[in-house]
Amino acid sequence: MKAFSYVNPKNEKEAVAALGSDRDLVMPLAGGQDLLARLKDYISQPDRIVNVKGALDAGVTATPGGGLKIGAAMKLVDLAAHAQVAKLYPAIALAAIEVGTPQIRNQGTVGGNLNQRPRCWYYRNEEFVCFKKGGNQCFSPAGENQFHAIFGGGPTFIVHPSSLAVPSLAYGATFRLAGPRGERLVAAADYFTMPTLQNVRTENVLAADELLTHVILPPPGAVRSGHYEVRYKESHDWPIAFATVVVAMTGDTVRTARVVMGAVAPVPWRSPAAEAALVGKPLTEETAIAAAEAALRDARPLSQNAYKIQVAKTAVKRAILNAAGIATV
Amino acid sequence: MARKDDKPGGFAVSRRDFLKSAGVVSAVTAAAAPPELDAQGVAAGAAAGPGEVPVRLMVNGKRLDLMLEPRVTLLDALRMRADQTGNKRGCDRGACGACTMIVDGRAVYACSTLAIEVQGKAIRNVDGLANGTTLHPVQQAFCEKDALMCGFCTPGFIMASVALLEKTPAPTPEQIRRGLDGNICRCGTFSRIFEAVSSVKGVARG
Amino acid sequence: MANPKDDLDLDQGRGGGPAAAPLPPADPKYAWPDQQSVLGTPVKRLDGPEKVSGRARYTFDINRPGMLYGRIVRSPHPHARIVSIDLAAARRAPGVKAAIVWRDPANPERNTVMYQGDEVAAVAADTEERAIDAARLVKVEYEVLPHLTLVDQAMSGNAPEVFKGGNVRQGAVQETGDLAAGFKQAAHVVEETYSTHVITHVCLESHGAVCEWDGDHLTAWVSTQGISAAREGFASGLQIPSANVRVITQYMGGGFGSKMAPDAQGLICARLAKEAKAPVKLMLDRKEEHLATGNRPSATARVKAGVSADGLLTAFDAETWGTGGAGAAAGFPLPYIYQFPNRRRTHKDVYINTGQQRPMRAPGHPQGSFVTEVLMEELADRVNMDPVEFRIKNLPPEAPNAMWGAYLRRGAAEFGWDKRHKTGDPATGPIKTGMGVAINTWGGGGRGPSQARCEIASDGLVVIKCGTQDLGTGTRTLIAVIAADTLGLPASAIRPEIGDTMFPISGGSGGSTTAAAVSPAVRIAVVNALDALKEKVAPTLGVEPAALVAAGGRIHVRDNPSKGLAWNEACKLLATQPISVEGNWQPGLSSVTTSGVQFAEVSVDVETGIVKVTRVLAIQDCGLVVSRLTAESQVYGGIIGSLNFALFEDRILDRNTGQMVNPNMEWYLLAGMSDVPRIDVRLVDQPERGVIGIGEPPTVSTAAAITNAVRNAIGVTVRSLPLTPAKILQTLAQRRA
Repeated sequence: MKAFSYVNPKNEKEAVAALGSDRDLVMPLAGGQDLLARLKDYISQPDRIVNVKGALDAGVTATPGGGLKIGAAMKLVDLAAHAQVAKLYPAIALAAIEVGTPQIRNQGTVGGNLNQRPRCWYYRNEEFVCFKKGGNQCFSPAGENQFHAIFGGGPTFIVHPSSLAVPSLAYGATFRLAGPRGERLVAAADYFTMPTLQNVRTENVLAADELLTHVILPPPGAVRSGHYEVRYKESHDWPIAFATVVVAMTGDTVRTARVVMGAVAPVPWRSPAAEAALVGKPLTEETAIAAAEAALRDARPLSQNAYKIQVAKTAVKRAILNAAGIATV
Repeated sequence: MARKDDKPGGFAVSRRDFLKSAGVVSAVTAAAAPPELDAQGVAAGAAAGPGEVPVRLMVNGKRLDLMLEPRVTLLDALRMRADQTGNKRGCDRGACGACTMIVDGRAVYACSTLAIEVQGKAIRNVDGLANGTTLHPVQQAFCEKDALMCGFCTPGFIMASVALLEKTPAPTPEQIRRGLDGNICRCGTFSRIFEAVSSVKGVARG
Repeated sequence: MANPKDDLDLDQGRGGGPAAAPLPPADPKYAWPDQQSVLGTPVKRLDGPEKVSGRARYTFDINRPGMLYGRIVRSPHPHARIVSIDLAAARRAPGVKAAIVWRDPANPERNTVMYQGDEVAAVAADTEERAIDAARLVKVEYEVLPHLTLVDQAMSGNAPEVFKGGNVRQGAVQETGDLAAGFKQAAHVVEETYSTHVITHVCLESHGAVCEWDGDHLTAWVSTQGISAAREGFASGLQIPSANVRVITQYMGGGFGSKMAPDAQGLICARLAKEAKAPVKLMLDRKEEHLATGNRPSATARVKAGVSADGLLTAFDAETWGTGGAGAAAGFPLPYIYQFPNRRRTHKDVYINTGQQRPMRAPGHPQGSFVTEVLMEELADRVNMDPVEFRIKNLPPEAPNAMWGAYLRRGAAEFGWDKRHKTGDPATGPIKTGMGVAINTWGGGGRGPSQARCEIASDGLVVIKCGTQDLGTGTRTLIAVIAADTLGLPASAIRPEIGDTMFPISGGSGGSTTAAAVSPAVRIAVVNALDALKEKVAPTLGVEPAALVAAGGRIHVRDNPSKGLAWNEACKLLATQPISVEGNWQPGLSSVTTSGVQFAEVSVDVETGIVKVTRVLAIQDCGLVVSRLTAESQVYGGIIGSLNFALFEDRILDRNTGQMVNPNMEWYLLAGMSDVPRIDVRLVDQPERGVIGIGEPPTVSTAAAITNAVRNAIGVTVRSLPLTPAKILQTLAQRRA
């Protein structure tokens, strides 16, 4: 770990002021579960660390319309245990419970989970100077890509690592960002960015001098939601694929649907095809299978990750069945 | 030095000798409440470091004043600067759990926590868990059930178990499993750790 | 480079055979007692309180006044020539007290790195952070050379010759019986390829040492399985008399076969300490562990095997190969245990540019077991026989060290084998369950030299000193149990002192030899010490020494317990002449070769490919059970280790650069609490056989039992490890296609 200086701002304003215009040189520290590992492996070598835990909101507040506003400094353990969150947005609570380990959930924050960097093993090992580290290649297509993207890959093939990003999209969340010029609101769907040659080193629109301060969840209305995660190990492991499904019903048929997959693409991957397959249908196993097929129809696997198509299909199907209240296995 | 001392492991150089060489400023039992966050002379908003700065930790109820670079983790601060070596460094990346300590009542990976960021918090490590020679009920249970082999993961498992039981004094099997999923034992003692934690009664809610 | 244990006996693991011959009897006075007071009872691990309280000092925990921290500079390349090493910037860095080169650019014998992680140079500084900073300032210029990290490529004719004398070392053909006749007798022939992968030891305490010089004398705290071997390694590596070296290992955090020598890091640590004139601690980090401190070699077997219509094995023909890394062997026993009367095997060691293999818990056996046991399952299906019955039919003759048949029947009954469905779970729904079985064997014998000293002082304290070490198996407890049983005292009254080369010499802890090497020495030393005590006590009681026995905390006249002295009173008679006598290992108190069987039950989600092990039953013998709790713990541990081998752990190298992509504990997967099934351990007592080690056999067969259970669940055979979701789904898809 390179030596750095440390700033411990007391509030949002101080925190933003402590950030600079170069994210390589100044980095915010929240739970630290991602950042410290990157520092130790020399993947990130900032000069200054800004501890934002004491500066940002760590609570949940009700919004006037009946939604919730979640502070970015909230610990995942608290999010998972929050009764209102579990009642209104069960997939958020479920996703939080599934993150990492008890120790990681005790330290990790909402903001940190959404903004953590990819777990791609090429990115995480100093030897591989990849696109994400200023290099000129992605090692995964010709290399070891069993956990890489099956959608939206190129020029990099990372999968987005955040568990909370997926249900955030599914519930139509908005993120509040604070910067030196004030705040701005960005829809979760617009926050995460696809890799391009011009913008390959970041995974979102957050500027170097901005902080994500809140996740604002709109009033859920009368929706049903389901969440399903497939992990190799039942204990600590990253999901191979997972999915959140949120549906609004008219009687017994689906009126609107959001189907979002995780760990399959460089961003949380919404599937309009799966949503179309659900709308107007009753929530049955048959519908779930059809929607899952639709969700994966356009997948583009790499040399070693075609199995993820089947896994993701299962995740989507079972998330739908969860939403329908039908036993999955 | 070595050959003058025939006692096995008996190089137990006094802790004080090591601490002197490791640059510990002082370690005293706190009179009352934890010290104020800003007692280190680092004004809020100002940058500390990158060189050594004073860091004040509350470990097992005792105040510990150290000079540390901000990059030093809680684990390394206690192991290398305070000779509190009970909790171990296994992976140093928040995956094995051998470093698990309890900070403000919650189990955390001390390898993935900067010492400077836990000033003012109540830190507990395995070194302070037993009351003198009287073991904590969790430690006792690990001994009874032979829930350890090489023992290197054991301090982390014990702290994770204590944190679990203080929150959930009568855990279900599922809660025990999930509660200990952040720790790895390479010798493969899990079955007996599970038995040990299942057998513990009467840990006070933390 | 460390010298790996070369040329594993490819024919070992046959089971039964000469080892069944009776051992020479021990001197009757040392024979294990018929009536056991402490032996075989569940005595709590003696050093448990030290370990659970964090007071136990491992090498990683040794802190010395003025101690520095060492850090090694390692090659990022799998194969390169070192053109130059510049230490100047590192030497100038804050806190740096020493910097050395380990490779010599000018010396063609020492200027080439053969794997990612090979040692190049090293520094020591006053803090670990500064040592790491300085190591990064060492400038190394590499001429990158062509590398080989793919076994297939190394075996192909068009690979560059990276290793002098060739990338492949062809072994001799091993042949028994008449192969052609054997295949002629076969009603069915199975021809398949089976393979296992490379895994690393992942000792939770990394390799490393703390070295401190006093003139030309070195004291080294080392995380090692062999303090004596480590001492010799330091002496030869540093060219000093071994009498000048003291190695101390009070506690160590796992070794599994990978910690038998000081290794490069130990010697580097000593050299840094010498240069800096200060103690140096050099413990490796997790990445270094994966790259440079050993691994279990891969194994591939292209097998053709025949079975007769009535279910007798007739012939076995295999071409096998494996890689143990850069210039290291990769042998494994095959076929494993079962009797193929006619067989042939040819084996190749394939060299690639990775760290060298080291013995890893039952070296060779898990590989041989996997290949053979999965094959057995396929053969049993061809003749439509129950896998348990099929195995029983093809075992070596039953003997005390070849008890699989009896254990298979016992285990089948207890496990509920009669509820096992035929291959392929007929259940509807995505979750399929299945059962599998596999068997194991291991030598585990004791040998000399192994010595122990028993000291009894007038205050009654009994100290046993033995230059052995405890890698987590419970050696202290074992010693205390034997001494306590012999002296009629509780185990807590004994103070075992181990882990120091100042004590009487014993062997390294490898090959499950510790219990069988240490136990006889301790027994003999303590019997001799008791004799000495009886000599002191007898005149006071007015009897002959031979009339006395030690039992229940007293020394008393046989058959007249009231005529005697309490232990402490008896010891007071020693006054200023404490007893100090040694015992040497002798044959007759220990023996070799165990048998074990394991049953596994799994569930497989065929929509995700996820395998979950739900239940394991192990029936395992190890001769005389000395310390029941710790012996059982070894079985639990072996099973969980083998579960990791079956499902999770895998050293993954980038196929293009040859660099490891998962040198951590995040993507190098190891089971956590939620992944561990219910495990039932049944130890079989064979007290008449004496002590036999148990560390290794339980880890041989679980992986094969799990694989066979998966086959029983999903109806298709997965012939390679690990059983990843990708592989399960792919295998299922191939069946559908």
